[in-house]
Amino acid sequence: MYSVNYHRAASVADAAKLLKSGDAKLLSGGMTLIPAMKTRLAAPSDLVDLSRIKELQGVKVSGKTVTIGAATTHHDVASNEKLKKACPALAHMASRIGDPAVRYKGTIGGSIANNDPAADYPAALLALDATIVTNKREIAAGKFFTGLFETALKDGEIITAVTFTAPLKAAYEKFRNPASRYAIVGVFVAKGKDGVRVAVTGAGDDGVFRSKEIEAALTKSFTAAALDGVKISAKNLMSDIHASADYRANLVAVMAKRAVAAANA
Amino acid sequence: MNYDAGDYAASLDAAMAAADYAGFAERKAAAAKKGKLRGIGMSNYIEACGLAPSAAVGSLGAGVGLWESAEVRVNAAGTIEVLTGSHSHGQGHETTFAQLVNQRFGVPIDSVSIVHGDTDKVQMGMGTYGSRSGAVGMSAVAKALDKVEAKAKKIAAHLLEADEGDIVIEDGALKVTGTDRQVPWFQMALAAYTAHNLPGGMEPGLKETSFYDPSNFTFPAGCYVCEVEIDPETGVTEIVQFVAADDFGNIINPMIVEGQVHGGVAQGIGQALLEGTRYDASGQLLTASYMDYTMPRADDLPSFKVSTSNTPCPGNPLGIKGCGEAGAIGSPPAVINAITDAIGITDIAMPASPSTVWAAIRATKH
Ligand SMILES: Cc1cc2nc3c(=O)[nH]c(=O)nc-3n(C[C@H](O)[C@H](O)[C@H](O)COP(=O)(O)OP(=O)(O)OC[C@H]3O[C@@H](n4cnc5c(N)ncnc54)[C@H](O)[C@@H]3O)c2cc1C
Repeated sequence: MYSVNYHRAASVADAAKLLKSGDAKLLSGGMTLIPAMKTRLAAPSDLVDLSRIKELQGVKVSGKTVTIGAATTHHDVASNEKLKKACPALAHMASRIGDPAVRYKGTIGGSIANNDPAADYPAALLALDATIVTNKREIAAGKFFTGLFETALKDGEIITAVTFTAPLKAAYEKFRNPASRYAIVGVFVAKGKDGVRVAVTGAGDDGVFRSKEIEAALTKSFTAAALDGVKISAKNLMSDIHASADYRANLVAVMAKRAVAAANA
Repeated sequence: MNYDAGDYAASLDAAMAAADYAGFAERKAAAAKKGKLRGIGMSNYIEACGLAPSAAVGSLGAGVGLWESAEVRVNAAGTIEVLTGSHSHGQGHETTFAQLVNQRFGVPIDSVSIVHGDTDKVQMGMGTYGSRSGAVGMSAVAKALDKVEAKAKKIAAHLLEADEGDIVIEDGALKVTGTDRQVPWFQMALAAYTAHNLPGGMEPGLKETSFYDPSNFTFPAGCYVCEVEIDPETGVTEIVQFVAADDFGNIINPMIVEGQVHGGVAQGIGQALLEGTRYDASGQLLTASYMDYTMPRADDLPSFKVSTSNTPCPGNPLGIKGCGEAGAIGSPPAVINAITDAIGITDIAMPASPSTVWAAIRATKH
């Protein structure tokens, strides 16, 4: 590491002010940013730590509305009893992120701000039609994830929370990269009162996306059998050392089927 | 040099029984009902270990001899230091080498210390590899112990006014066989250093060295059986049973030997299923961190069923063959044979990752 100015923000307003110092960056769990700094892929002059800000912490469930503070760790999402009742699919998803050390430090805000094309939360939030709340505005998930490691966030904008309406049924199935545990393919299916949404992570060459073919089939019938004839095209899917685009296309269909079966179980 | 001794059929029989080879067809049918492809694979290996007769390696062009050295120092208080040229980096020499001394003299194991890896103290050593620490390194220790034992018996016979040939060493004492006359080990050691009452002409002290040059390689051999279930939709291979039956010759510490097999099998399964270095067209390493290079982890592995048979190796005084590499040698072919059996093909590249297995299954359908 190189020397860097560390600031512990006391509030979101305080963080916004500190973020103006030098070439500052927000620090949440540090599970992505710190390794990037070690390899100099990122080299901020200042770090503004959000992890101790009270208003960014915790999961709230009121009626059907779920709100998760940006600095809530994956572990706290995975183990929240109210969330396990309201939306067990999301708690289960968080329980399968990385390894225990990553889950104790990494946060939902950091994950979606980073928008890694193999991260899990982007698929969940897109399928749940969640709203991303920042210190400036509210952004629909469909507008938030704009490409590989790209989001709609503007300079100086801080995610404060994520909110969504609990679905009627939902499940997430992930084919894990055996080394990193990130998704090679992850499919989140959600059936809400406004219809079925299916989001795919790990596979798209432009990041997380909704699968229109799968959504159409599941809208007709929300069953695994409804996906039997559905072919997923390998076009616009990633190909890398872990999986070819063809293999990923196959996994999208298989994970979708398994997710629907789990959602109905 | 010849393959010397081994009960190859015993390993085969033990492995087939432990794997319930006869029941495989039934298990395969049950797996098919769940939509899984089940396969069984076997590998029989024999290796050359215990490197090696110096003259033999010299004739092959080696620049060194492959003997091993040992020094055994019995201190005046009876505690014992063993200096060995075999380096211990996790194989537990500190335990097995001390066991050897304990078995020979009956002194408490915690009064024996093993000194290794220190060139200020150990005169010469040829190292730890090729399962040579037991077969060659411990044989050197055994030879030095022979010399210590001979001198200790002379001292005891002198102190007890008995015949040297009547002295036996048991339970930490040197005894005159068939009588109740004895001298404790530590008193004999003290006598060696006070030198008040030694046999005429004997040098004081009790410290011996030896260099041991083996007369042959050793030949561990065994039979490994792996059984897998493959999910044809994803290409994921699950190892549902793994059996290792090895003939390692005499064994000093069964738990350490079992641990060596476990580690080797884990490494071999890693090679067969998970580990692979990949480069891009410009030569850039793509698997440069553990985020991309898959090391085997506990949840990638089943519980292993391991057993040994023990045909003594005639080539060294302890009858040891060695067990350091066996697990990693026997397991990759067993795993790959199980996968090709499950899919109905004759070959698949390692690592047989889910995408490789899925592509191989798909190719059988075209
Ligand atoms: C070994 C390992 C395995 C992993 N496996 C998985 C996995 O299986 N699935 C998965 O989804 N992820 C995985 N991750 C990533 C993990 O979830 C990270 O925690 C996450 O990507 C980043 O969260 P963080 O809180 O650590 O953010 P940080 O590293 O602190 O920050 C990441 C980025 O987000 C910005 N940021 C942070 N908070 C905010 C905010 N409130 N508003 C705006 N910008 C912000 C930072 O400035 C930085 O640019 C893994 C990571 C590791 C190291």
